[in-house]
Amino acid sequence: MTRTFSQSLMLYLTVILTLGLILFPIYWLFITAISTSAELSALPPSFWPSAPQWEIFSRVWEERPIPAWLLNSMIAALGSAALSMVVSVFAGYALSRYRLRGGHSLGLFILTAKMLPATLLVIPLFAVFRNLGMIGSMWTLIIAHSTLIIPFATWMLKGYFDTIPRELEQAAMVDGCSPLGAMVRVVLPIATPGLSATALYAFVLSWADYAYARTFLVNAPQNWTANLGITTMKGEYVTDWNEISAAAVFVAVPVIIIYLILERYLVGGLTAGAEK
Amino acid sequence: MPNAKMFDLARPSRQHLLGYILLAPAVLLVGFIIVYPLAIAIDLSFQQVRIPRMGTRGAFTLANYQRLFASSEFWMACWVTLKLVTVVTIGSLFVGMSTALLVNNRFRGRTLARLGMALPWAVPEVIAVVIFAWIFDSSFGLMSWLFVVTGLSDTMIPWTSSPAAAFWAVALTMVWKGFPFVSIMVLAGLQSIPADFYNAAKVDGASALQRFRWITLPLLMPVLGVTLVLVILWVFRDFSIIKVLTEGGPLKTTQTLSIMTYDQAFGLHNFGYASAVGVLTLVISVVASIFMLGRGTKAIY
Repeated sequence: MTRTFSQSLMLYLTVILTLGLILFPIYWLFITAISTSAELSALPPSFWPSAPQWEIFSRVWEERPIPAWLLNSMIAALGSAALSMVVSVFAGYALSRYRLRGGHSLGLFILTAKMLPATLLVIPLFAVFRNLGMIGSMWTLIIAHSTLIIPFATWMLKGYFDTIPRELEQAAMVDGCSPLGAMVRVVLPIATPGLSATALYAFVLSWADYAYARTFLVNAPQNWTANLGITTMKGEYVTDWNEISAAAVFVAVPVIIIYLILERYLVGGLTAGAEK
Repeated sequence: MPNAKMFDLARPSRQHLLGYILLAPAVLLVGFIIVYPLAIAIDLSFQQVRIPRMGTRGAFTLANYQRLFASSEFWMACWVTLKLVTVVTIGSLFVGMSTALLVNNRFRGRTLARLGMALPWAVPEVIAVVIFAWIFDSSFGLMSWLFVVTGLSDTMIPWTSSPAAAFWAVALTMVWKGFPFVSIMVLAGLQSIPADFYNAAKVDGASALQRFRWITLPLLMPVLGVTLVLVILWVFRDFSIIKVLTEGGPLKTTQTLSIMTYDQAFGLHNFGYASAVGVLTLVISVVASIFMLGRGTKAIY
């Protein structure tokens, strides 16, 4: 495609303007974090602080239980991602490779499970966990987050396995490999990019949860996840915006990094799962 | 998987058995963490319980549903949900489509632009709310200031505590969080359209607008249909954005069905009633998506 100079200029200007608008809230978060309280309560707002206070990050890290919150989020995310991946890899593979009776309706069920409102599921889960005396325990999160992850992960993985030719396993089986061996030694290594993308997606899903954490862990501050902890910093009337923003940066950065590194895989998984 | 060793799974007649064995853990887990709780919720919705105790069961009653249909709060929540779904879906679709079409152009730095366009998708919802709660702050928020500076308003607007404005604060936050998904999906759809189609149309003298209307849009329809349903369901289900930004207030003007379900259960301890709201929300979203996907597929063929 050829463009005139003015057309190119227009295109670049539009792109830059759009990007600026879209990314502005993220920029604003950083700016708010490093602004002084005095600057934040002044109008017009300053778009770059006159004296950036970088030490806010170390101060919030030390004064607020940010490391503990992040650790809890990490435990919940790793735990639920691991649990869901184990069952989803097998299920996704079975749905991709075998024509199973009920397999189709199971696939359909998995798709509809995405429609379940967490606010509905949280009610019976709360009843069950309370009955088991588990309220306040990290296990509630690991189990509950799996309700979010398994439908997504199974579907994403089925999509990945569908793209891997069956001939590979058939060749391995001719060479004396068992069907399970063919899956573990031949298919899974090839599917590594898909597997890691799904696992990271699972991690992101768990990391973003607020509803379950708030319901099961609100009375157990030692187990608060980052999202739950952050909301307690938002006061009814007064909020220290620079402190909460600095804390928010700590919570957002891990997922933003995951996204930037694995955008291609995440996007691939997202669209592969939905284009069906 | 110790069972696997007991059979000769390579035998064609046993092949399916392995499939079922591989599927079993997922089926069991999904049964325990999704199907069983769902059954409990439906069961609860037909009992008058405030706080559920397992093992004991109240008498079967339709009272929750009767109370629900007679309550203005429920219809208000339905209306708010419908409004929010409409506004956020249209907003996300518009922004998502435009950004996707924009970065589908060939230019230097396109990869970087794509990465940036979809970045809000990676920001956790609670963090997005922290950002927008500050932008919509009533005393020193950027949005109010912009409204005053541009003359749209004489005084600072208390966004999240004004019944008229809170809805728009929630909607804007959701669009910012929701459009990247549309953008990603549309971009994937655009790239699956063969360039030959456009070249052929150009040879035939079709204008850019005609090419969009008669090639891009029809070929994008399947992707767009699925995307639309997923966005709608996301707005339906969403809890954290509304809960943290406005708590469903002021005066329940941002209370969607999802928020009402939660508040009835964990705020007012009406678990039976809350389950009834939740079950109805689920029914509405299932019916709506079947209807939409049905229409969507008809539109394709």
